[in-house]
Amino acid sequence: MLAGVSTVGKGGHLAVRAVGTLKQVDIWGPRLVPLLASIGVASIPIALFILTFTGMVLAIQASYTFTGTVPKYFVGALVGKTVILELGPVLTALALAGRVGASIASELGTMRVTEQIDALEALAYDPVAYLVVPRVLAGMFMFPVITVFSLVVGVAAGWITSLAMLDITTPEFVKGLKLFFDTYDVQFALIKAWSFGLVVTGVGCFYGFQASGGAEGVGHATTRAVVVGSMIILVLDAFWAAVLL
Amino acid sequence: MSIEIRGIHKSFGEDHILRGFSLAVQEGETLSIIGPSGVGKSVTLKTIIGLITPDSGEVWVDGKSVHALLLPELFEFRRKVGYVFQFAALFDSMSVGENVAMGLRRIEGITEGEIQKRVSYCLNIVDLGGTEERLPSELSGGMRKRAGLARAIATRPKYLLYDEPTTGLDPVTTTTIDGLINRMSEELGVTAIVVTHNMASAYEISDRIAMLHEGSIRFVGTPDDIRATDDPVVKGFVEGRPELSREVSL
Repeated sequence: MLAGVSTVGKGGHLAVRAVGTLKQVDIWGPRLVPLLASIGVASIPIALFILTFTGMVLAIQASYTFTGTVPKYFVGALVGKTVILELGPVLTALALAGRVGASIASELGTMRVTEQIDALEALAYDPVAYLVVPRVLAGMFMFPVITVFSLVVGVAAGWITSLAMLDITTPEFVKGLKLFFDTYDVQFALIKAWSFGLVVTGVGCFYGFQASGGAEGVGHATTRAVVVGSMIILVLDAFWAAVLL
Repeated sequence: MSIEIRGIHKSFGEDHILRGFSLAVQEGETLSIIGPSGVGKSVTLKTIIGLITPDSGEVWVDGKSVHALLLPELFEFRRKVGYVFQFAALFDSMSVGENVAMGLRRIEGITEGEIQKRVSYCLNIVDLGGTEERLPSELSGGMRKRAGLARAIATRPKYLLYDEPTTGLDPVTTTTIDGLINRMSEELGVTAIVVTHNMASAYEISDRIAMLHEGSIRFVGTPDDIRATDDPVVKGFVEGRPELSREVSL
């Protein structure tokens, strides 16, 4: 219990420091673009892979469930609504908690245990401005971008599956898709993705900074970053659903 | 007084490492800190530069208490300090040249051309000329250590803190590094604190030598003083004769 409170306190302290160093643009600015590429662009394939199969499975399961009771075009409605509101943002974030969160925690953890973060400080760099701020900003910017790709691919995968395997025509699928579509759903998905980006990168940075004790410590930090990041994603998901829907 | 350590205590969990440790270093002086492993020598250096906060006590540099400085003031202070880490602590994702340039990039008004010239100059000083494009992983341990030294001196700091600068180096490179430490002191008037186990180096580079023992200073004096001391603990360490200090314990 005490350890949990202490962790929250340390996390809050890091967050406050990060906000305080936002004005040091000369330190984090040059680091941002490469991180947009490594955190964002490089993550697109895994997100698309996951949403391709999610869209396919959703279409097949919807068709299976609706057969004989609900018109076929409701497959488009279910695929669209489910991918946009829930599975697109959440599955993408969970996948990136593994890829991005683990990568950040292990990189910063290694820097911590090999005194590279101390060396940064000794060279008069604020390590929070240099290491944390650009990563978190890159996550907050790129997670929504990746999520947009995921939503499009998820729905497209459901549509192609409907055409190829479920005897549903394009007009039927599009009719269902339009039936319950609301642009607010996309805004909702992007707000969630933005917050997930903040959490995954922030938690990765936090546990990386806390690492100690060599390779084993880095391993622990990486595991905690993925587990805690994933848990917070699910809690935040429920929070946004309760607040925004 | 240039650097003054006043009664610092530092514990890590149950280990009370520094126990009321006080020491003063004069401007332009090179002072070596010797002592057994784990006695708190590196902790002392990190405390001086503000990387570790003492449980109690103060470190004063140029009339300012380091641990009372606000963050921007602390970073401003660190620009005047070069730190050579025990295991070099090079940034492994950057080339050697970029590592050496890191401190220089914090200096306002310096051009890229000047940075590159300074990088080449510093790498040449430590016999690493031409390694600018190589990654730290492509260097031997000794070369990495010298690259760390080049990074520390690149900004022409007023203070240099060396954490075991010659440990693990061959005798020729050790002599080169000792010469460089002396040169920094003589030509630039750098105030230096050197943590070392190497007594030959300590005698060669030091104006004074301090021995840290059980968390506080056991001895401070010139190299001649330490050679002549009758203190069995100091003598035992300096001469590599542990039986002397064991007799004291018994």
